[in-house]
Amino acid sequence: MSGNDYLTQIITRILIYGILVLSVEMCWGQTGIFTFGQAALFGLGGYLVGLVTTHSTITDMGKLLLIAVIIGALVGFIIGIFLFSGKRVGELYVALVTLAISYICERLANSWTVLGSGNGIPGIPYPTIFGKEIGSAMALFFLAFAVFAVALILCIIIVNSQFGLTMNAVRDDEERAEFFGYKRSVVQIVVFVFSAALASSGGALFAVSEGFVSPSMSGLALSTTTVLWVVLGGRGTFFGPLIALTVLQVVNIEMQNALPSLWPILVGLMLLLTMIFLPKGLTSLPAKIRESRRKAAHV
Amino acid sequence: MKLLEITSVSKKFGSLVAVDDASMFIEQNEIVGLIGPNGSGKSTLLHTICGRTFATEGSILLEGADITNKTPQNRAKAGMAIKFQLARIYLEKTVRENLLISLQAKESIWRQLRSASLKAFEVKILELAKEFQLEEYLNEPAKSLSHGQQQWLEIAMAMAVDPILLLLDEPTAGMSPKERADTALLIKKASKKCGVLIVEHDLDFIKELCNRISVLHHGNIVATGTPIEIENDPKVKEVYLTRV
Repeated sequence: MSGNDYLTQIITRILIYGILVLSVEMCWGQTGIFTFGQAALFGLGGYLVGLVTTHSTITDMGKLLLIAVIIGALVGFIIGIFLFSGKRVGELYVALVTLAISYICERLANSWTVLGSGNGIPGIPYPTIFGKEIGSAMALFFLAFAVFAVALILCIIIVNSQFGLTMNAVRDDEERAEFFGYKRSVVQIVVFVFSAALASSGGALFAVSEGFVSPSMSGLALSTTTVLWVVLGGRGTFFGPLIALTVLQVVNIEMQNALPSLWPILVGLMLLLTMIFLPKGLTSLPAKIRESRRKAAHV
Repeated sequence: MKLLEITSVSKKFGSLVAVDDASMFIEQNEIVGLIGPNGSGKSTLLHTICGRTFATEGSILLEGADITNKTPQNRAKAGMAIKFQLARIYLEKTVRENLLISLQAKESIWRQLRSASLKAFEVKILELAKEFQLEEYLNEPAKSLSHGQQQWLEIAMAMAVDPILLLLDEPTAGMSPKERADTALLIKKASKKCGVLIVEHDLDFIKELCNRISVLHHGNIVATGTPIEIENDPKVKEVYLTRV
């Protein structure tokens, strides 16, 4: 693999994880659904593609994405009904249940032979579009870019619509929203289904781009890392978490070689400091500096 | 038919009886006050009416329909709107967005996704902002409003959906005398469109505004009558007025 291909592959991976970040941002950042289970849905999409492509002749990307979106949405709907259809539950409850789902999925992927157990499913063929194989790193990048762009535009449209305001109303005070007449559970289920479809489509892209799927893509580590990107970048914005994801992915590669044992501690420390001093994430830093300058000028 | 009819409502928390066999009613376009010392059960009774908590016994009818066990969103759908004691508005959102949140609550998700009713609601938003003296703050975040303006915004949000019953929990708490007078005018104006139930500590405010007043003590309604009747009721004087 050439250096250019390696770089292209990293950018492609960032774009795919970007779709996962969007799904967490829609849930947690915009609607207050503190989900730790998006990796499970990401893994679902990946394993679906792995199973379909290795057990049939289907390689058409459109069909693979459609399968991932539909099944992802369906699973999201079932989890959403379980989580939100009854009385209001706290953020912590949602976090714990989705965390458990992620853990169970990773364990299942590790133990079920049909899913390749610990080895996952290797040898996933390159996808095709209109019968043409997408086999190069650059072609896969364009594919990931196109899906990411569509996902981002969709998210921006939704958040800027009246429904985006409804999502924020539920996030900021869900009980108050109910007193206005909002069907809080319906709003939460709709958002969860949409974000599940997003995460699952991201997983499908990951599978065809990497050529394999493994239990780690549906597990706790990826779920937690995604939440970390959102926390660092700033909950409630799309671009903050996407920037955090990009920076951390790029820096990660260098730092894991330079400081293999110290780097995870530094990341943890960075997260801790961000949560304490910048609860709205690193993107709120310029505004915070401006505010303190204004205060200093008034004194 | 009464607008709101509460019959023998009790609310128990384990062995603690917060509201005991309370009955009261509100007629159309009537302003009714609910007063009582701290811990008398006013808030609990209000919460059973609005659906924040459910009555252990008794029934609550809104325009003849039983809403005793209905969820808050179903009560809102039936025409009930509430202003909480501490204004529960969306502080980070602008005044316009706050009003829009209230207005679009009953819109379908599909219509919301298409922002289909934005233009129609804008007219209503301007009307409400004018009525509640919030015109110049429409694009300001609600957190930048004064305490009194935040209370008005919440009343405006409640009135935005043309309710048939407006519940107000201490609407003048922390307001200046001028703001209180303005609030009284707003409530009087609101009562031309709907019935109003006010839970309030300020007796002077409530007696000038209400058609009838009910007095709650230890979870029981000990007296109901016109403000003059309540002021002269010896039982009320004994259990409540002497404590104010």
